[in-house]
Amino acid sequence: MMEGMKLQKEKLNDFLDGLRKEKYLFAPQKEGESLQFSPVSEESQVELDFQNTIIPPKNAVFPQTETLFTYQIGKLDIELPEEDRERVVLGIRPCDARAMEIIDRLFSWDEDDPYYFDKRNKAALIGLACLEPCINCFCTSFEDGGPASTAGLDVLMTAAEDIFILQPVTEKGEQLLSEQDLLETASDDEMKTVEKSHAEAAEKLQRKIDTEGIPQGLPGLWESPLWEKVSGSCLGCGICTYLCPTCHCFDIQDEVEGFDGRRCRMWDSCMFGEYTLHASGHNPRPTRRERTRNRINHKYAYFVDKFDVIACVGCGRCINYCPVNIDILNILAQVKEEL
Amino acid sequence: MVDLEKLRQTAKDIVSRDDVKHIIGWKQGTYGFRVEPHFAAEPDEADALTFSPLCTNNLATYLTLAEKLPVPRGEEPDTRKVALMVKGCDSRAVVQLLVEQGLTREGVYVVGCPCSGVVDVKKVEKMFPDILEPAQAYWKNDQIVFQLPDGEKEVSREEVLPQKCLLCRYPNPVIYDELLWDEVKAWGSEDYEDVKELEAKSPEERWDFWKDKFSSCLRCYSCRNVCPMCYCEDCVLDRLNPTWTFRSVNLSENTSYHLARAFHLAGRCIECGECERVCPVDIPLMKLNRKLYKEVVERFDYEPGIDPEATPLQASYRPDDEEDFIL
Repeated sequence: MMEGMKLQKEKLNDFLDGLRKEKYLFAPQKEGESLQFSPVSEESQVELDFQNTIIPPKNAVFPQTETLFTYQIGKLDIELPEEDRERVVLGIRPCDARAMEIIDRLFSWDEDDPYYFDKRNKAALIGLACLEPCINCFCTSFEDGGPASTAGLDVLMTAAEDIFILQPVTEKGEQLLSEQDLLETASDDEMKTVEKSHAEAAEKLQRKIDTEGIPQGLPGLWESPLWEKVSGSCLGCGICTYLCPTCHCFDIQDEVEGFDGRRCRMWDSCMFGEYTLHASGHNPRPTRRERTRNRINHKYAYFVDKFDVIACVGCGRCINYCPVNIDILNILAQVKEEL
Repeated sequence: MVDLEKLRQTAKDIVSRDDVKHIIGWKQGTYGFRVEPHFAAEPDEADALTFSPLCTNNLATYLTLAEKLPVPRGEEPDTRKVALMVKGCDSRAVVQLLVEQGLTREGVYVVGCPCSGVVDVKKVEKMFPDILEPAQAYWKNDQIVFQLPDGEKEVSREEVLPQKCLLCRYPNPVIYDELLWDEVKAWGSEDYEDVKELEAKSPEERWDFWKDKFSSCLRCYSCRNVCPMCYCEDCVLDRLNPTWTFRSVNLSENTSYHLARAFHLAGRCIECGECERVCPVDIPLMKLNRKLYKEVVERFDYEPGIDPEATPLQASYRPDDEEDFIL
């Protein structure tokens, strides 16, 4: 593998322009008060000094709304969307990149989801090591997780004083870096400083969960009064799932305006009552108790059963943004007590 | 003055009654400045109840949010009262629910907590970042005092209160069965400066403003779900046949969603500001709601959520109504 490379911070914009020439570039930018991953254009102000974005970058490969095909009422033809372009997601946090690796397993479960993989296979992920973790981050609770984890990444980027260090992780990453002409080889000292900052960042994490026994034990707590207790205040909104980098559920709808129809899919949330509502009117998950139980079981038991990995990366978003302070670590701690 | 001892004792007495199911109040959350709703059904569970400038949630929403499963054959439905702790704004939701007959007076026992304004947690977390240890706060004259691991910090109310509290005209519960402590002096005045600021802009400028805000909406529906006045069992926005608002998340559908909600809240919004508090992308929804609030006050001389005997705005008619806005 190629050595660590460095980029002068003042040359960042030129570097981004270079990436943008051939590819679609997603990077965090200010949208109103908050940062979001969105396509970079000439006017964009890319912001790399942040903790994490509120909305995870899963949008870059799994858009919130995606047209599968369009059609005309009364005609038999369908029109497929244009093929997607090669893309680079720059500034993605290691937890969010790990999340993409996790949902890859779901989208390739029986057959590869063509819409997802059309974008995913064309995406190179340039991660940004997390040197100032958020208050509710718990990424180090997972085997591959950590503020400088390379799982799922093609390149790991770390901010140092006036340079960025870029370390290729995969061949794709190496290829991408070799195409750029603003990079220089980093010195041993610079690489050591970066390694030190990674270790220090991991020490800064304040929260952690020992997941030992949870995936095996959770299904046994099906009828536990715990679920009623932890879901009592749930509003049934979609914040925890929409802001989750591993949540991947979608709904498919035909939307017709005049004679123009489109079949599209959009993020859905298991916390909505409508999600499991049958056409008969029966709802197998009739209250927030069942929905909360499902959310936790799906991440910490069913997904493990099927894909051998916990579908949670410890980004802390569901804790940070829940309007009623439903705290997954608190729920898991109660689960552990009952095991 | 907030008296936590009295609050907990009152709650214990209430939940000990046979005709009360539980009391809904606030308790210390799992970290930092977070407070969470607490449902105490037994007297010992009432010990966790608290009241402070961190008690932001409007708990009245839980009166209508509970999903009721069909009662099994041979069993009687639970008709016990729900006891509820309310701030001034929250109490207006109770009144409006009574006005709309979404609730019966016998079904609820209201415990009033006069309030000097609750904080905007986002502002507080920005001011004191990375505090994981549960922190507390209390009111002291015109200050809010935060008890942090490294000592107490006093902050002026203006710095940490959300606008809905700075403008509040009803800090004292307008309906209650029991009031926990002395009423506080109201401070707000109704001049709608915030609404006038937007009204002064041209339609193009206003559209630019809202376009920007609505574009970032995720349609997580937290604003709708937290709203104590959004309690339709079958929400028009969930309808698929016919579909009034597509599920696609884009500016057009997001605008349709927010305008539908704003119209349905005209003459009903009680200004608790919960929609704005919970929004993960900071859409200033109260600007929309307050615009309609102002219209309703000016056109119909009607304020929702004040008088439990009132007729709902949409159901009221006055022969002397000028109707000069109808073409």
